[in-house]
Amino acid sequence: MVFHMQPYGIQGLLKEGHKHLSGLDEAVLKNIDACKQLTLITRTSLGPNGMNKMIINHLDKLFVTNDAATIVNELEVQHPAAKILVLAGKAQQEEIGDGANLTISFAGEILQNAEELIRMGLHPSEIISGYTKAINKTIELLEELVEEGSENMDVRSKVEVVSRMKAAVSSKRFGEEDILCPLIADACIQVCPKNPANFNVDNVRIVKLVGGGLHNCSVVRGMILKNDAIGSIKKVEKAKIVVFTGGVDTSATETKGTVLIQNAEQLEKYAKTEEAKVEELIKAVADSGAKVVVSGAAVGEMALHFCERYKLMVLKISSKFELRRFCRTTGAVALLKLCPPNPDNLGYADSVSVEEIGGARVTIVKNDEAGNSVTTVVLRGSTDSILDDLERAVDDGVNTYKAMCRDSRILPGAAATEIELARKLKEFSFKETGLDQYAIAKFAESFEMVPKILADNAGLNAMEIISSLYAEHASGNTKVGIDIEEGVCKDVSNLNIWDLYVTKFFALKYATDAACTVLRVDQIIMSKPAGGPKRDQPAGMDED
Amino acid sequence: MSLRVLNPNAEVLNKSAALHMNINAAKGLQDVLKTNLGPKGTIKMLVGGAGDIKLTKDGNTLLKEMQIQNPTAVMIARTAVAQDDTSGDGTTSTVIFIGELMKQSERYIDEGMHPRVLVDGFDIAKRATLEFLENFKTHVVMGETPDKEILKMVGRTTLRTKLYEALADQLSDIVVNAVLCVRKPEEPIDLFMVEIMHMRHKFDVDTRLIEGLVLDHGSRHPDMKRRAENCYILTCNVSLEYEKSEVNAGFFYSTAEQRETMVTAERRQVDEKVLQIIELKNKVCSDNESNFVVINQKGIDPPSLDLLARAGIIALRRAKRRNMERLVLACGGEAVNSVDNLTPDCLGWAGLVYEHVLGEEKYTFVENVKNPHSCTILIKGPNDHTIAQIKDAIRDGLRSIKNTLEDEAVVLGAGAFEVAARQHLINNVKKTVQGRAQVGIEAFADALLVVPKTLAENSGLDTQDVIISLKNEHENGNIVGLNHHTGEPIDPQMEGIFDNYSVKRQIINSVPVIASQLLLVDEVIRAGRNMRKPS
Repeated sequence: MVFHMQPYGIQGLLKEGHKHLSGLDEAVLKNIDACKQLTLITRTSLGPNGMNKMIINHLDKLFVTNDAATIVNELEVQHPAAKILVLAGKAQQEEIGDGANLTISFAGEILQNAEELIRMGLHPSEIISGYTKAINKTIELLEELVEEGSENMDVRSKVEVVSRMKAAVSSKRFGEEDILCPLIADACIQVCPKNPANFNVDNVRIVKLVGGGLHNCSVVRGMILKNDAIGSIKKVEKAKIVVFTGGVDTSATETKGTVLIQNAEQLEKYAKTEEAKVEELIKAVADSGAKVVVSGAAVGEMALHFCERYKLMVLKISSKFELRRFCRTTGAVALLKLCPPNPDNLGYADSVSVEEIGGARVTIVKNDEAGNSVTTVVLRGSTDSILDDLERAVDDGVNTYKAMCRDSRILPGAAATEIELARKLKEFSFKETGLDQYAIAKFAESFEMVPKILADNAGLNAMEIISSLYAEHASGNTKVGIDIEEGVCKDVSNLNIWDLYVTKFFALKYATDAACTVLRVDQIIMSKPAGGPKRDQPAGMDED
Repeated sequence: MSLRVLNPNAEVLNKSAALHMNINAAKGLQDVLKTNLGPKGTIKMLVGGAGDIKLTKDGNTLLKEMQIQNPTAVMIARTAVAQDDTSGDGTTSTVIFIGELMKQSERYIDEGMHPRVLVDGFDIAKRATLEFLENFKTHVVMGETPDKEILKMVGRTTLRTKLYEALADQLSDIVVNAVLCVRKPEEPIDLFMVEIMHMRHKFDVDTRLIEGLVLDHGSRHPDMKRRAENCYILTCNVSLEYEKSEVNAGFFYSTAEQRETMVTAERRQVDEKVLQIIELKNKVCSDNESNFVVINQKGIDPPSLDLLARAGIIALRRAKRRNMERLVLACGGEAVNSVDNLTPDCLGWAGLVYEHVLGEEKYTFVENVKNPHSCTILIKGPNDHTIAQIKDAIRDGLRSIKNTLEDEAVVLGAGAFEVAARQHLINNVKKTVQGRAQVGIEAFADALLVVPKTLAENSGLDTQDVIISLKNEHENGNIVGLNHHTGEPIDPQMEGIFDNYSVKRQIINSVPVIASQLLLVDEVIRAGRNMRKPS
């Protein structure tokens, strides 16, 4: 046979299995559609009354959450355009740690509106230029809306911290924010360094222990290790601590060593010297005043024996990072190998004790006065998935704290800001003369999504709420938002619902960037999916 | 057929079928890449086998990422990629020019013209165009202190075809400064000395130039300083960890004391090296104002790190080889391979060294250096595909600046050159040639117009209108290009739209060659064993 004449155009040029989509209908609108589908999933989780999603990922792990970052992460989105939105959400999560849902939902909303514009006959490039103008104006407006006097805050004042954190936490665990916020605020304030900008999220630890309830949650100054002490000594108070990163055991050479023994006497002698050596070291450790020995690797039987004899408590922390944190908590300097410690290298803790909480043995290292470097939030709850969700809520709270340490400006929450932005942007769009005015107007309209979803999720009549919000804002009450508990519009400064400026700023910016990227693409070339090993079919529900 | 007698499995396309296959492939590839050209070109999304996303507007990236199979298309793609290798830009132009040349030839061939005659015409036209380019180019003098403005304009012209306007304008400043930073008088420019580092952080407009170096790892010891000023920098390639002996060695001991001595002896060798470094530190940092930083290409084991930390030295291990070279250029001093006889002359200096932590990743910035000959472009972007896009663009931007410095000439852009060259070919060259070769020259001249035509098409303008108004202006002796916003003719000189001379020359040189080769093919044979399974 002769070559089968290749079809004209790109199809004939590429390897088999390629997919090629181009043009408005095939690429742009399809992309928008995919993004819309994605936001349909996330948007119902927005806000305090957002619904939870149950996701089972490929490892059969169950997630019950309304945290958008987790949802999209576990969904394993395949569609390339929707993936761009997911990436925007992830970027927001990494940058601020909160507001991923706003990013994704808003991007989806402006894309949906872009679709209408395209159907009206606008070219994507005009929409992009309109959206770019709109976002620049939005940023300007956002600065104007910042609550006066909020740029100076005392990051150590619990009341101020709680008021800023409340919105973020309540969107994850609605109704529990009054318990969680003070806990998180306490924990954060305790570890806040002299220069608040250097606040490190890593210093607030979370320990999840099944059992108990929300009211049993607490904050511990210091650390909680989720394992038992090795020896028999379980409680020490006002103790000096020595930390060894290597194991607590007899020393060893890098090169292979062989013990040369010719007769039984020598063997006995060798064992004795060995013993004496270890005893000497452990004794030196005990003499230095240390009461607790922490090892980063295995603890030898013999070493343990002598530790017991010299009344030393022995802990093992196998994670390098955990060990570093432990050093930060106690102020100890980690020693590389077993040797008599210098007094400077010793750390200190008020109490180190093993306790049993909810069936699990944990070691609590408390440091009330000296250490302000690490605190731990103990979360209690009835199931693992509740605990996971609580953890995400606390994470969001801590991240919010970090964000407010850098920039403490706040904006009215509960959709008050969004409505005001929508109103002002619309005015702005009337002043524009070019085709982009339509895009700007649509962009403004997109902000209505937030109050709409908030109201929808709370079971209220969205249209009614939005129109009364507009009415209030038009009459000059720019801080009126939705009170979802009562279903009426109220001034948020009374409700005390505030959002951080930075969260909004990044969320809107990332969302617009992502949406513009999706709009800019007019051709997709997909190569044949790589043929890896096929994943096991997920086990059917009805199987036993 | 004779070939079938020799090998019954061979596949053959002959005469016009072969020619048309080539032409179609060239046109097909042109269609794909056409929408990329110019600042108004659209973005393509490439989805890899693993579902990874790449967004690009760069012809070169696109050709590399698309898995092209058609033999003719592969040939064209290779020429275009070679174009990128030699001059750093102009891939898209190459492909569409080849496509257009084939398209023009097809017309004449269908009328019964022999390809050989066309090819002869191409050859004459090519030489004439190159001559014309020599006269057409604008000279720029690049002395000790080159004119930054013109470099920025060249950079901007290139970058705007890869990224959106605001970002491109910002990056053109960065690339110009970067190239001028690594440029040394009397030596060829080594772009490799510009480190390109990326951080997934903030927005694309936060991309910046750092006079100094950014390393993508941090110190490995918790007690080392995170920020230090007035730093002496020791760049070395010395292993500071215990290395096993080559021979299979073992110790024999019979008491624990003996073993203890063995253990210390083992360490001593490494410790001595570390102590030598510490000694140097104490010598140069006698006042408490200055700090000492060791950047080692080989490893530093925890005990050595510990020793260094106690001496107040910041130590980085496992630096990349390429960075060792750059460090010396940036900070001064020299890279040492042994710690024996260290002198303060080996040391470099930096005003500020600090560590930046981003999630799990650590970055070390070496900044405020004196008189650097190496620098870093730090790309920021919220996600990987943005970063990749900027990275490709910066590469091309750097190349374009380098080309300008080396060529000492630029060419007016926005399609001005192409229209002018066509004018020259039709009005002057064609008349000097006798016979049928004229047709080849005409085809070549018309094919040149594809660049302004495509620019107009991508901007949503009427192609014919634009070409006619451009032609008219040139007829009146005005050198004009296309304003892609309005479709009106503009003076590229006023607007600051300049292309690289070497890029244009390379295109004119390579395109007719490959097009001629494709036209002169009269038989395509696929013989030999088919390695793929029969479909």
